Amino acid sequence: MEPIIKIRSIKKFFGSTEALRGVSLDVQKGEVIVIIGPSGSGKSTFLRCINRLEEYDEGSIIVDGIPLDSTQHINQVRTEVGMVFQQFNLFPHLTVLQNITLAQKVVRGRDVAESDRVAKELLVKVGIPEKADAYPGQLSGGQQQRVAIARALAMNPKIMLFDEPTSALDPEMIQEVLDVMMTLAKEGMTMVVVSHEMGFARAAANRAILMDNGLIVEEAAPDVLFSNPKEERTKAFLSKVL
Amino acid sequence: MTDENNPHLLPGKAAVTSAQPKRGFDRWWFLVAIVALLIIYLITAKPDPFRRMLVFIADGVRITLLVTVSSFLFVMVLGLIAGLGRLSKNPVISTIASVYVEVVRGIPLLVQIFAWYFAFPSIIQSIGVKFHIPAFENYLANPVGMAILGITFCYGAYMSEIYRAGIQSIARGQMEAARSLGMTHFQAMRYIIIPQAVRVILPPVGNEFVSMLKDSSLVSAVAVADLTRRGREFISQNFIPIEGWTLVALVYLMMTLFASRIVTWVERKTRIVR
Ligand SMILES: Nc1ncnc2c1ncn2[C@@H]1O[C@H](COP(=O)(O)OP(=O)(O)OP(=O)(O)O)[C@@H](O)[C@H]1O
Ligand SMILES: [Mg+2]
Repeated sequence: MEPIIKIRSIKKFFGSTEALRGVSLDVQKGEVIVIIGPSGSGKSTFLRCINRLEEYDEGSIIVDGIPLDSTQHINQVRTEVGMVFQQFNLFPHLTVLQNITLAQKVVRGRDVAESDRVAKELLVKVGIPEKADAYPGQLSGGQQQRVAIARALAMNPKIMLFDEPTSALDPEMIQEVLDVMMTLAKEGMTMVVVSHEMGFARAAANRAILMDNGLIVEEAAPDVLFSNPKEERTKAFLSKVL
Repeated sequence: MTDENNPHLLPGKAAVTSAQPKRGFDRWWFLVAIVALLIIYLITAKPDPFRRMLVFIADGVRITLLVTVSSFLFVMVLGLIAGLGRLSKNPVISTIASVYVEVVRGIPLLVQIFAWYFAFPSIIQSIGVKFHIPAFENYLANPVGMAILGITFCYGAYMSEIYRAGIQSIARGQMEAARSLGMTHFQAMRYIIIPQAVRVILPPVGNEFVSMLKDSSLVSAVAVADLTRRGREFISQNFIPIEGWTLVALVYLMMTLFASRIVTWVERKTRIVR
């Protein structure tokens, strides 16, 4: 089957630092991929290239048959790829409901009734229907991150990208966010997740990837990668994290 | 006073959610009461010259407010355009915007007002003579119009810097979140960045408004019958410099006090809960 994301040897430079040094990856529809790796290894940069928040210098990315080459294509891809950030990045001047409906209206062209309905359904799904009229600043970190997930889902994305979605959260709030992600994975959402939550990776991921120094070092089923890594660098990294 | 009353709105300081403690009698009411009482005392105790003068300068107050408020509205628009221009990735646009800002900020406002009122019409007229355009040849400057133009052009440069700082202070993550949802750059600016930037810049914009109110007195130099000019006319006709300038000062003070109060009120109304 044709992969939904096709990444071919992309390279990315920040000045003289080479953040990505030729990364290739195919993601099949419905796959959940977890990326781990030391700080500065290029995980975020890699993820952000997939929806072109970061421009890459070499290589090619094709998402759902659309090459990331023109502005028009990039915007088209962005409407199909949802992204969840470490720092939530909710819009603080809008209510929770408005956070979830704005892009539906201005990007998807849905009317008020339709976008409100979608937003409320999603708030039920992420477990905070009572917070529709609250402002982001009135929510806990875990609740904010769940709103951020609902905001991305409201665009009906085919793919969801998560960049360390739980690492800015207090420990007691991590599980509520992982539960939502778990549900999504079970429903067959294609997901690329940068996260060091091994429990989530083992339970939800089809593949786990270790990145180091701008390259994919090892790629395997999560159980294999975490318990039985082949590469020395993977072993060294896991011994520090676990 | 805006800044002191609203520390949570200063850029770079943490926002506070708790409500402002209610003080029955804050400094603003105190000042307004003193100024109001003083004016009332003067016009009742000494109707001549004070009451007579107040009537005489009333239409000057109207002109001052007209010049200030209309310039302010134009400044908000021009400042936004120039501020976005300075942030533009297009080198031509950002250079034009920077040159405008640097040139205007380096020239005193009074000189700029003179230039608009005296030099600009002459330029138009000589263009008219050269190309035989009758409308241009007979062009005469409208004092109030030129005053508004001069203030707008000058303050637009200052305002563009405020906008620029405000827009830059909105975290990059906000733009990225908007773009990741498929919004265009324009939509992200329109719905996410500018609404937040406007709130961040309210305190400095309020200060600009108060400065404009005061600086509008400079237009009295080019035949605009504003508060200052009307005051000066009355004073020289009646030879009462002390009483006359005291009253003019009190009327300005009253207006600036109310202006800064309105700014504080708007800030509170539009505050973002964090
Ligand atoms: N905007 C930028 N400007 C300059 N250098 C950058 C920028 N973003 C990332 N880098 C550099 O690129 C490299 C990869 O960064 P990246 O953020 O992708 O790493 P990461 O694996 O996500 O790390 P972390 O676990 O800390 O989030 C690092 O060396 C980083 O310093
Ligand atoms: Mg990162």
